[in-house]
Amino acid sequence: MPINTGLAQVSEHLLLSTVIIYALAMLAYACDFAFGGVRAPASAPARAPELVGAVAGKAGALPAGGPAIRLRDGADAGSPAATFASAAAPRPGFWVRSALVLTAVGLVAQIAGILTRGLSEHRVPWGNMYEFVTAITCMAVIVLLAVSLRYKAYYIGLFVLIPVVFALGLALTVIYTPAGALVPALQSYWIAIHVTAMIVATGLYIVGAVTTVMYLLADRHERRIAAGQPSRTAGIMLHLPKPQILDRLSYRTILFAFPVWTFGIMAGAIWADQAWGRYWGWDPKETWSFITWVVYAGFLHARATAGWRGRRAAYIQIAGFCCLMFNLIGINLWVTGLHSYAGLS
Amino acid sequence: MRTALILLFLLAVASVPGSVIPQQGIDPAAVAQYYTAHPTLAPILARLSLFSVFGAPWFAAIYLLLFVSLAGCVLPRTFRLAGSARQLPPRAPRNLSRLPMSASYRTSLTPAEAVGSAAGLLSGKRFRLRNGDGWVAAEKGYLREAGNLLFHIALLALLGSVGIGGIFGYKADRLLVAGQSFANTPTALDQFRPGRLVTPGDLQPFTVTLDKFTAHYITSGTLRGQPSSFDASVSYTDRPGAPARGFLLRVNHPLSVDGVRVYLIGHGYAPVFRITDGAGRVVFDSPVPFIPVEQTGLTSEGVIKVPDADPDQLGFAGVFLPTAVDVNGRLQSAFPAALLPRVSLVSYAGNLGLNSGPSQSVYQLDLAHLRRLPVAPRPLAPGQSIKLPDHAGTLTFTGYRQWASLAITYDPGQVPALISGIVAIAGLLLSFAVRRRRVFVRAHAGPDGGTVVDIGGLARSDAAGGFETEFAALAAEIMASHGGRQPAGMAAARPPDEGGSENASHDDDPGYDDDPSDNYLSAPADNESALGHDEGE
Repeated sequence: MPINTGLAQVSEHLLLSTVIIYALAMLAYACDFAFGGVRAPASAPARAPELVGAVAGKAGALPAGGPAIRLRDGADAGSPAATFASAAAPRPGFWVRSALVLTAVGLVAQIAGILTRGLSEHRVPWGNMYEFVTAITCMAVIVLLAVSLRYKAYYIGLFVLIPVVFALGLALTVIYTPAGALVPALQSYWIAIHVTAMIVATGLYIVGAVTTVMYLLADRHERRIAAGQPSRTAGIMLHLPKPQILDRLSYRTILFAFPVWTFGIMAGAIWADQAWGRYWGWDPKETWSFITWVVYAGFLHARATAGWRGRRAAYIQIAGFCCLMFNLIGINLWVTGLHSYAGLS
Repeated sequence: MRTALILLFLLAVASVPGSVIPQQGIDPAAVAQYYTAHPTLAPILARLSLFSVFGAPWFAAIYLLLFVSLAGCVLPRTFRLAGSARQLPPRAPRNLSRLPMSASYRTSLTPAEAVGSAAGLLSGKRFRLRNGDGWVAAEKGYLREAGNLLFHIALLALLGSVGIGGIFGYKADRLLVAGQSFANTPTALDQFRPGRLVTPGDLQPFTVTLDKFTAHYITSGTLRGQPSSFDASVSYTDRPGAPARGFLLRVNHPLSVDGVRVYLIGHGYAPVFRITDGAGRVVFDSPVPFIPVEQTGLTSEGVIKVPDADPDQLGFAGVFLPTAVDVNGRLQSAFPAALLPRVSLVSYAGNLGLNSGPSQSVYQLDLAHLRRLPVAPRPLAPGQSIKLPDHAGTLTFTGYRQWASLAITYDPGQVPALISGIVAIAGLLLSFAVRRRRVFVRAHAGPDGGTVVDIGGLARSDAAGGFETEFAALAAEIMASHGGRQPAGMAAARPPDEGGSENASHDDDPGYDDDPSDNYLSAPADNESALGHDEGE
């Protein structure tokens, strides 16, 4: 079937609008940091370790009249919102609400852009690097919104949108590929399974990496303050939750991402078996997906091992993300293999 | 666990060169190119097996050690898990308010009644119980460790399946010109890579004929020349003498025959030549597969060897251009379909060297004993001929056919590998989704004659969070069953009881506990500093 060029054009316009809307959302998030509320200042009286509040009262499904629940401070528990919300901003202010609305509008535009691209090509729109980057940024924003709304972790918006806007901008300029049909090797329903899994996992990994960098910055800040040293990030830290919370948020996204990534590799193996006659052949892309898997597996183990939690585990996660990005960028652009579908030359 | 992790990391690091340096098994041409580009470095890399990393002894050493280490890690844990099937939860700590979660209320039941009814309730929720004097300890979520073990055992099985495939399977390639057929025997295969325990007798005796090969290309737009479909119609027989059946072999659509799979992995052109020698005899009349050297126009190279020609043997090296266009005096192929096919040849006469020396590739001429014939290079259209000088003969380019290259693979480890993969993911999900948690209930007589019930909760591995909600629901349910009431200000009224806490650690769980509260139980005095990050910091 011929490519519907008109629809492909619509897709391009939609995605261009998406970048602009995300940039505006980014601005709104930044405004919240500049003018919005702050986390309880460090000099505030320490929270009473006994009493956080009756959880039973908050969660609607719970039977009324239960006993008050005491939480020992620092316990890894709690309704998601209670655990992850930045302490001072339990309810989103004007700027956060604007940012959330803008992000949601941008997301709708992006999904529409991806849909029209797919419709114009009569296929799943993840056949080359441009389409893949468009899809993973979309997934990252979906994760961002889900985390923001579920955990009230509005503070990650700015930091997630920065790489998203950057990558989507690059996608529309440098790595842009016109709409087209798939090469025979990609003509399989497995593209919908394997590549979708990789997109979902990559979107989650992006948010994981962003929050883990935030964790490292927050942790560095806290340690400097504790040591009586000046911290240059003090201003921004007023808006962030405790490092521990960022660490947990990051860990949680990886917990979701890792099984999806594992599934994606396995779906890829099944597809490789269909297309090339072997389920694993150490093609460069396969090799790096394996390396990425190993490093993230290492992160999960480190995160569960006393003495490796915290900064060291965070560094391993960042190493894993670097492997992921090398597989996306380096292998696509510099290495020839069976997965050379980037559409760039 | 540490050794296995280090080995896993080592395996990842070891596979890096395999993705950067060209690999013999994946792209032999790139390896040859590397040899010419880096004449001094290449032999050193070859000695270190860096051109075949994934078959290198040191690579095998890493994954075998990993296999052993993983087995050594997982098997004892499996036995321990099996052994702990009837193990009781740890005793309830004396002061439940020191646990990560706790609640307290008063009831008119006696302490024994209160504990008994709480135990019944927890038991109904499939908690494992341990009863004591005035307390009950309950634990749930053993599936977490089971899922974790399942995942690691499945990884071992996956490694084993790969091994089975390598030992009992085989891979082979065969290039077929349209109209040709082959039988699945080692001699009929172009490349035959059997596993260690495969003998020629193990090959399934099927035959495949390539009836027709069709390639479609995109004819306009920016993707002009990109293939849109490849179709190879083949007929095959399961065994000699069986009736032939037809199959449309496509990329992503392999043929399964007798447990073996046949894949379409490549295609190209085979120009057909008729050659008469000086004596006027037809000494050659057949298609010659040419190998594509680039993909956008499918420019292909090949050689023709005519050992039967008289007086001298003849050889030709040439280029086939599917759609020949003249670009600044140079012929190029502008499109992969054969719209304007041309062949350009260089002619040689002399000794092809087929009867001496090492075996030759059919795609290369040994020029040592050949002299180039002075023939003006002229691209041939189908039907055109070259008349060789000195009455050496005539070559006619009569037309072209297409060829398809097939991969034949047999891998008995495939199904076990698939099952292992599915089990691994199931185990992973189980170990991530289930949390191991403990609930303790204590009851004692209060100062005013009533009974004070304390409930404490502890998630040993609550990475996914949410135990607080479950704990609150449990506590509410237990309280409701006791007809309990909460005295005003009760929650804040209990000062933490320093020093009285019983060390209840039975921390023999070798799994991955994500929750720092484990540290709390084993080292109560240190808990605040271990957790850190207080608001007042």
